[in-house]
Amino acid sequence: MNPFLTVLAKECTDNIRDYRSLFSSLSVALLGPLLIVGLLTFVLDKTLRDFEEPIPFTLMGADYAPNLVAYLRANNTRIDQREAVDDPSTLIKSGEAEIILVIQPNYGERYTEGEQNQVALFFDSSSYSSGRRNLTTLVQLIERYSNTIGMLRLHYGGIQPGLIAPIKTRKIDVSSPADRALMIFSSIPYLLVLVIFTGCFYLAIDATAGEKERGSLEPLLTQPISRFQLVLGKVIAASSFSLLNLTITVISLYFALQLVPFERIGMSLELNLLQLLMIIAVTSPLTLFAASLLTVVSAFSKSYKEAQTYLSFVIIIPTLPLIITQIVGIEPSLGSMFVPSLGQAILTSQIIKGEAISYTHVLLSVGATLSMALLFLLQAIKMYQKEQFVK
Amino acid sequence: MIKVTSLTKSYGIVSAVSDVSFEAASGKVTALLGPNGAGKSTILRILSTIITPDTGSATIDGLDVATDTTDVRRKIGVLPHNTGIYDRLTAIENIRYFGNLQQVKRTELNNRIDKLIHLLDMNEFCDRRVSGFSQGQKMKVALARALIHDPQYILLDEPTNGLDVMATRALRKVIHDIKDAGKCILFSSHVMQEVESLCDHLVILGHGQHRFSGTVKELEEKSGTANLEDAFIMISSEGESSR
Repeated sequence: MNPFLTVLAKECTDNIRDYRSLFSSLSVALLGPLLIVGLLTFVLDKTLRDFEEPIPFTLMGADYAPNLVAYLRANNTRIDQREAVDDPSTLIKSGEAEIILVIQPNYGERYTEGEQNQVALFFDSSSYSSGRRNLTTLVQLIERYSNTIGMLRLHYGGIQPGLIAPIKTRKIDVSSPADRALMIFSSIPYLLVLVIFTGCFYLAIDATAGEKERGSLEPLLTQPISRFQLVLGKVIAASSFSLLNLTITVISLYFALQLVPFERIGMSLELNLLQLLMIIAVTSPLTLFAASLLTVVSAFSKSYKEAQTYLSFVIIIPTLPLIITQIVGIEPSLGSMFVPSLGQAILTSQIIKGEAISYTHVLLSVGATLSMALLFLLQAIKMYQKEQFVK
Repeated sequence: MIKVTSLTKSYGIVSAVSDVSFEAASGKVTALLGPNGAGKSTILRILSTIITPDTGSATIDGLDVATDTTDVRRKIGVLPHNTGIYDRLTAIENIRYFGNLQQVKRTELNNRIDKLIHLLDMNEFCDRRVSGFSQGQKMKVALARALIHDPQYILLDEPTNGLDVMATRALRKVIHDIKDAGKCILFSSHVMQEVESLCDHLVILGHGQHRFSGTVKELEEKSGTANLEDAFIMISSEGESSR
């Protein structure tokens, strides 16, 4: 058997038997997509509820203002009518009601006379959570009703409504539930970069720093195998676990996304098989980059623990470009493709959104990432060749 | 034959070995003796191509260990001082790994593994994973691994370290067997007693310097005492007082 394959097979066997490490890196691949889907479902659900659910409130003195009540009723509210009580706040304190609208008996009288009426809204700002939106909407509804009546009165009195309200703002919220869902989708590239780096994390440490620490490296180096084949075997073994992690993540993402009720917001955001393969294809060079980078860092360390400390910092580095672009907002460009992890992230989000991707971009990203992987690989080999490498 | 000529090696300002020369012949067991820090491990590591000497040279079968590394590596079997075997692999998998690295053919490799398991009496535990093995069992695995490609030159760094009487005796028997097969064995030790029963030739080191080469008998004659331990202490600390 080729010495390179011998090393590759041994490192893979060794890593598979390290159940705790294996499970720890696989758990990110399995749980990450579930987390994204959970968030998506939660956000969609909440948004939909906001759009559809009627506003519940308790009403006292409904009979005094039938027109107002009819207006409220017609505007997606759920009214719980009650007899007026002396102190409505006790009902709120006891939890029987969240919002109470109280209309005074002299409402009709004042209304006819053209005097200003006051309706009271009882609520407890410290206790309820979902009620804030309800309260705001209810206040808006009443104000809108009040404005309409006011405008009509002015109109009938021969006065232009514009006189007392020279400026009126109109808010137009163009965001849709689909947009909010897409925000969460943008976290998928992060997840992919993360699982690639965690996939080879333990093997990269164990196969270099771990071997040094356990003293198994010394006998290994007395074997007639070139340092190139030895390091390549270790790096390829590490990157295969990254690739495995990546594939598992993408597959579990595929199934998990089917659980999200996209159809409820009239949106179809499913990933088809071709998109999945494309995502794996454009991100896979990153597995070699990750494996060789982590192997070099691991080669600098004298012990497993030391390597673990360094690597925990190192795996933050590939996520930095992603965070920075999220803040600054970089468009897909030639330059960004040269940055490992950034190029892959941009391409991945383009594939997810179903946008056309440029082959030049793919080639640049693959080429740049692989060249850097090669540089790290050569550096690792160089370190293996030094005699100070063995303690 | 292993030939060491004026070997010198320092780590920074610390001199580990200075101007050491000796020979180890095939069909013989040569012991590299000396107290802790005498430079035994350094010499063995130079011979096993892990480190290179500063000056001087070492050849194995006429091949320079510093330059003909790959060829040397095919001819040597190395037992490092802390066994260095893989915990998550079974005993056989450990042995097979090195057999494959030495590119021993598959059928040949299986035969060798069977033979070594029998020779080292490893039947009971050869299919178990190494973690949890006793020191003696680990040593057997490491020794089998060193011998898997049937090397002519065998380098053992303190092989009896941490072994009980039974394991030591088993090891001694194996070393004798290998010697009878005409191999060249070089082992390091700081225990005088085990040397007597095992080795044909002695090389004594002290403070990285060569103190003595010869047979046990010659050592006794030179030191003028029949007690090997006394002789060892006398020889290895020679010149100590004048330092």
